[in-house]
Amino acid sequence: MKRLRISRCASQLLAHQPAPRRLSCPCAPALQRHTTPHNHRIQSRFQSTLVIPNELGREELLVEELDGTTDSTSTPQAEQRESPSPLPSAAQRSAKLYALRSRLSLRQGFPLETLARTLVHPSADPDPAFNNASLSILGSNLLGYYTTEHLLCNYPRLPMSVVFAAQFAYIGPKALATIASEWGIEAAAAPGAEVDPGLLQFKRLRSGDSVPEVLRRQVPWNWNVTTTNRILKSDAFGSSSAPPSPHELSGIPVPIEEAAQSFVQALIGALHLHLGSPLVKRFFRDHFLSRHLDLSTLFDFRTPTRDLSRLCAREGFEAPVARLISETGRLSRHPVFVVGVYSGKDKLGEGAGSSLDEARIRAAAAALKGWYLYRPLEVTVPSSTEGALDTSAWKPNMIDCGEVIV
Amino acid sequence: MAAKRPLRTFISTATCSLRAAQPSKPSLVRTSACAFSTTTPTRGPEYDTETAERPRWQQTPARMVAPVRTRPLPRGPVFRVNEDPRRLDDAYVKMLGPGGDKVLTDEVKWLAVTHKSFDHGRRGFNDRLAFLGRRIVSLQTSHALLSSQHVQPQPDEYGRTPYLHPALNGLPGLSHEAKDAVLDKAQLSTIAERYNLDRVTRWKPKRADNLKGSGVDAVLATSLYAIIGAIALERGGDIANKVTQERILSPLGFTLSSEYSPGV
Repeated sequence: MKRLRISRCASQLLAHQPAPRRLSCPCAPALQRHTTPHNHRIQSRFQSTLVIPNELGREELLVEELDGTTDSTSTPQAEQRESPSPLPSAAQRSAKLYALRSRLSLRQGFPLETLARTLVHPSADPDPAFNNASLSILGSNLLGYYTTEHLLCNYPRLPMSVVFAAQFAYIGPKALATIASEWGIEAAAAPGAEVDPGLLQFKRLRSGDSVPEVLRRQVPWNWNVTTTNRILKSDAFGSSSAPPSPHELSGIPVPIEEAAQSFVQALIGALHLHLGSPLVKRFFRDHFLSRHLDLSTLFDFRTPTRDLSRLCAREGFEAPVARLISETGRLSRHPVFVVGVYSGKDKLGEGAGSSLDEARIRAAAAALKGWYLYRPLEVTVPSSTEGALDTSAWKPNMIDCGEVIV
Repeated sequence: MAAKRPLRTFISTATCSLRAAQPSKPSLVRTSACAFSTTTPTRGPEYDTETAERPRWQQTPARMVAPVRTRPLPRGPVFRVNEDPRRLDDAYVKMLGPGGDKVLTDEVKWLAVTHKSFDHGRRGFNDRLAFLGRRIVSLQTSHALLSSQHVQPQPDEYGRTPYLHPALNGLPGLSHEAKDAVLDKAQLSTIAERYNLDRVTRWKPKRADNLKGSGVDAVLATSLYAIIGAIALERGGDIANKVTQERILSPLGFTLSSEYSPGV
């Protein structure tokens, strides 16, 4: 019986390392690519319990070494390169993926391999069959559709610029990055085949470097960037920079916000494909619509008095007149004037300010907000009829003619 | 108690004088039950009752119009827009099939084909509808691209094969380039012209003799999206998706399966 020659095996193991190796043990934290003394100590501590995957056939099990026979499955390491992202089979062994799936309350039927794929940004792995590019396109379409219908059905009179801002607040890059961090997504220091599949993998932008050109591209190139033009050409937020195609981002370092956004979008897309749209709608309602957004803070009026006057003319109301309701401290350092804007006998809005003009402008802005933030009591969104057998609950939504143009 | 005197007295303008003449009560202009008038609506109605009965699409609100035009007329020929409800109904029937003119209500029918440039946006415009319509068309295009091609994946340069699942089959066909090629503005305006939307869309070109240079493609694409958005809001997403698949994506060459049901 051959004796266990641990020292020989250990030295062979260490000698085989072409570069400092990372452990695939799920309980090890994500390690840096370059060795540090700390890493070396961790490696030596885990020597006896090392388990190495052998899908590519270039790493051997400890057991085979102990037999002393030359391993026939080992292939020359110099020719075969490491894949840029973990293999799909590694997903089943990742505790992080299991934890993420149960944290999001997803069914067991949702495969971990797809969940692993949603965490791979195109900058980490350019191959579209292994990264989340296509899934994120589908997911961003779904998110855009559900958010738009929610906003337009619940706030039919919202001006277009406020719709853009509200979309950005619900499903913009920053919002999705926040949601990803709330879900407990951690990022790998650098992408690679040995990284835990439950980590977000993307090529990091070095601090101090500028944002890559593809992410800063301005669109449209024309001089006439109007709101209507943006609706047709730009993305759901009316932004002036073009959303880069995921396939353009292959190999380019990106900020973490971009990678987190692509993960959330890809997750929605994957849920839609695997689990169906009713679940995606519930997921969207639970994770996105549950976030509170105060729409009245998104308004920015330049000349509310003029806008209100034109609005009353358009709707056939009496012309608005500002009247002082109450005041105090007119000759002091901090006067307060409360002004109301009236159309005939009806008060449209009220505002308080430290000067008569300020109070009048605030009152006009309040009146306009009262008009634009009108909200029907019960709405049925368009997606509620998809796949529904019973359409008797459908209530046609109010369609407003548009904001007032001065 | 609010002051009886207004905070600021307005400088008298032409609109003010109109206001003083007619004591109008606050009333929303609704689509009325009156018969459609085929005569060209005058700029300022004589009686207040006429204003209240005329639908919004048919005339500019009285108090938003000055009695005399002070700016010079634009150069080039005059661009006439459609004012005939029958022609609009025909365009809708051409696009949506028999009964297409009954799908939307009257005001919304006109609103969906009215661009912001028409009448300076005083009769409403289709911005919001086009926004929703574009999201719907974009999503349906993604679905169509997903179900279009099924390529058997090959092992890549690292010798790995991707995870296979029936739900993920169509993903290789979905890319930004493919979508941009489908939803090109020029292609969409060609489809809109096929439905005679170029004859009923109400807009104001920069030069009536150079519509292309004035952006007719963008305006027609906006109208097309807006009709889809209007159908979604008034009739539901199901019907809007079907109209998108049959009337926009099919002419672009997508043959869709009868039911695309993911997640089975």
